[in-house]
Amino acid sequence: MHMRAQESGANNSEHWWQSRCPVGRVFFALCASMLGAWLIVACSPSLVHSGGEGLVVPALPVGIQIEPTELEGWVFADASGRSLYRWPQKNLRNGNAGDPTGASFCTSTKTTVNAGLMSPYPAGLVLPDLDTRPACTTAWPPATVAPGSKPMGRWTIIERKDGIRQWAYDEAPLYTSNLDQRAGDVFGGSARYSGGDGPANREPVGPAPDMPPGFAVKTTSVGRLLVTDRQLSVYVFDRDGRDASACEGECAKAWIPMAAPAAGRPHGEWTTFLRADGTRQWAFRHKALYRYALDRHPYSVEGSDVAGWHNIYTQRAPDPPAGFTVQDTTAGQVLADARGMTIYTFRCADDAEDQLSCDHPTTTQVYRIAFCGGGDAARCLRSFPYVLAPPHAPTASRTWRAVDINPQTGRFAEPGQPGSVHVWTYRDRPVYTYSGDRQPGDVNADSHGEFRGERNGFNAIWIRDDYFGRTG
Amino acid sequence: MTSRLRGPFYPAVYASVAAAFACATLLCNAAESGSRAPQDGKIAYALVSLHWATYQSADGKTECPHGFNEGPREQFKKLFPDDGTVRSLSETELKREIEGWFPTPAPDGLDFKEATGSTALGMNLDGTNDAADFESPDGQQGIDNQLYRALGCINSYRGPQGANDFFDNEEIGKDDYNRLILEVSGIETLADSKNVTVTIYRGRDPLLADAGGTSYLPGGTQRIDLRWGWRFIQRFHGKIEGGVLITEPGDLAFPWATFGLPADEYVHDARFRIKLAPTEAEGMIAGYVDLETWYLQTMKSESTHHQSYGQLSPPSLYKAFRRVADAYPDAKSGANTAMSSALRAKFVQVFVLPVPEGAIAAALARPRALPYAGPPK
Repeated sequence: MHMRAQESGANNSEHWWQSRCPVGRVFFALCASMLGAWLIVACSPSLVHSGGEGLVVPALPVGIQIEPTELEGWVFADASGRSLYRWPQKNLRNGNAGDPTGASFCTSTKTTVNAGLMSPYPAGLVLPDLDTRPACTTAWPPATVAPGSKPMGRWTIIERKDGIRQWAYDEAPLYTSNLDQRAGDVFGGSARYSGGDGPANREPVGPAPDMPPGFAVKTTSVGRLLVTDRQLSVYVFDRDGRDASACEGECAKAWIPMAAPAAGRPHGEWTTFLRADGTRQWAFRHKALYRYALDRHPYSVEGSDVAGWHNIYTQRAPDPPAGFTVQDTTAGQVLADARGMTIYTFRCADDAEDQLSCDHPTTTQVYRIAFCGGGDAARCLRSFPYVLAPPHAPTASRTWRAVDINPQTGRFAEPGQPGSVHVWTYRDRPVYTYSGDRQPGDVNADSHGEFRGERNGFNAIWIRDDYFGRTG
Repeated sequence: MTSRLRGPFYPAVYASVAAAFACATLLCNAAESGSRAPQDGKIAYALVSLHWATYQSADGKTECPHGFNEGPREQFKKLFPDDGTVRSLSETELKREIEGWFPTPAPDGLDFKEATGSTALGMNLDGTNDAADFESPDGQQGIDNQLYRALGCINSYRGPQGANDFFDNEEIGKDDYNRLILEVSGIETLADSKNVTVTIYRGRDPLLADAGGTSYLPGGTQRIDLRWGWRFIQRFHGKIEGGVLITEPGDLAFPWATFGLPADEYVHDARFRIKLAPTEAEGMIAGYVDLETWYLQTMKSESTHHQSYGQLSPPSLYKAFRRVADAYPDAKSGANTAMSSALRAKFVQVFVLPVPEGAIAAALARPRALPYAGPPK
């Protein structure tokens, strides 16, 4: 079964979210957040126009399905629609964490001390909030195999030491996240956060996009970007006709046609055509594809600054809340509040063997209060104030929604609870400004924390980064 | 004999003659070009090397007679000895990390060794010669470089293998974010010009590197970054005397990302003393570096892990900064917020693509970069 993708247009203006198709977005949100997995077939004809790249649906075991998500494209889900994640083993500074091939290191034994994997300081220090700290399998329940299900294709079964039979995909054990509340949620992790010096993060797992060899889709903060398999951006040109190129001569030196092999055949939304010089070129949705010779970095959008040229997004990320702005910095653009002050998220995972998240209102707040206020919750509120949402703020997506927070504890509050504040969240985590920023475009708290804020600290939400690739 | 002449001898002779001719030509050209104006009275250079100017004696005992400083790992062992005590992460590791992010000038009982001795690199910034000043290795009196006093005995800032000294400099050439361009206009000759304008930009393009990738070549082309780099467009006025560019003091904000994120420096009353040549330039940039901006740049760029490479303890360094800071007192507290400092800089000549009419004036009219004020209290 093939599903088709949507090309969402260019990303070349400051008000980047205004260029998207609202019909597709709303319908996609509906599909993602309201409909159960059983509707996937019913939704399929409309999903042609609702976002998400085309995919080849692999054979699925009983109890496994495919869900659209707002940020990560199509992901596998369990029978209740909960997204499935893997925990790839990662070489950290002082050792490995994560699952090796074909085995799960996530156990039901509560971890009590740190492992010192990302610090020059020693292991064996007692972790915070042990009384409420969950065991790994409580935070990450293994994706259990339904009675009667059998391995098929890339799906295998792991016999865990605790006796649970757990699904694995490509031999990576699969889990759900206790942070996900409904179908399409991917609050447990992101493919964006798996690199660098961050923790050994969990990342959602999904079917491969249906595209020719040499192409890939990169999850970025603004959407799913079509790139080459070397992460170089791919562009389309306004002046090109259907399966034809108007870019010849000098133009074709700056904009390098994506060459297709002679054996390349039309497939789904992918076609080829012969250029004037006799070479064959790939087209997506009948628009010829190019690379930009002056792109300096992976998943660049610099080519879209040239009039008539556009990046290609198979799916756009949901709009930020009304009133948010985009501000120029010295490296690109960040999301900001209505005053133009940069907005930050807090990211955290324990430096423990199970690498549990510590950046969500339901997890320990000790790390956040340490890095936002030096251990002083009141100073936190002065240094990193919450971005307040208006009462009854409309919730248009799962990615951006308003919640009530107890500012003294940092945990969720009941709606209207005395002393609570109504704040914006991104991926179910509150967002903040930094009172140490003095003017729009300042990003003084970007990377405020250990390992540039990737292990535990604050980061801006980059929507364009021409130097360091932090949209991806 | 014949066979020897046919062997390696002739090529060696030819090579020597050719080399001598080339050298003579280059020297001649260099000497001649020093006395001529560049085309349109302009020449531009790209920054390729940058180090905080720290004087180092051969064995380090002159400036660091009591040895070098300890870093995060060593201090942790002193504070929390491995004596079987059960310790919490909050009271140990996390505590030390946040002492780095929320530093104070209050003494903590840990030893810190400042650089001593009478010699330092730098410039006489205030025109005086007082007790805190140094003498330069070539005999200039009144050298102001209190930053060196704080950095001089930290291994990380000592060349050529100190972690910060090495990596900070390496990123100047490798990372386009740091592509500082210095354009000198109004040149009569490269040897002497009474009134020149120095415009600082950020370029957009990689440098021309040699096959090893670590030495950079003149003659490259740079586009000017007007889109994101407008905050770095700044103007200085000065002169060229004896082939040395000398500018009047002015505030300088410049990009210096070390490990993959935007980080900048801010120098009050910065001034350039740069020896200019047709293909390269080399010299010193000195001024009062903003304390909080400097500290933030280091904290953002490096984790405790990286700081431990070179025994760089941020809480201790911050306390030293607050002790040695010698300029720009805070209006309320009276505490100095900047430190006299100097940078050793090297440049190669580049060609700058023309900038649209009015773009520089427009950039200069926009809000200027501001120094960081420190974490909120």
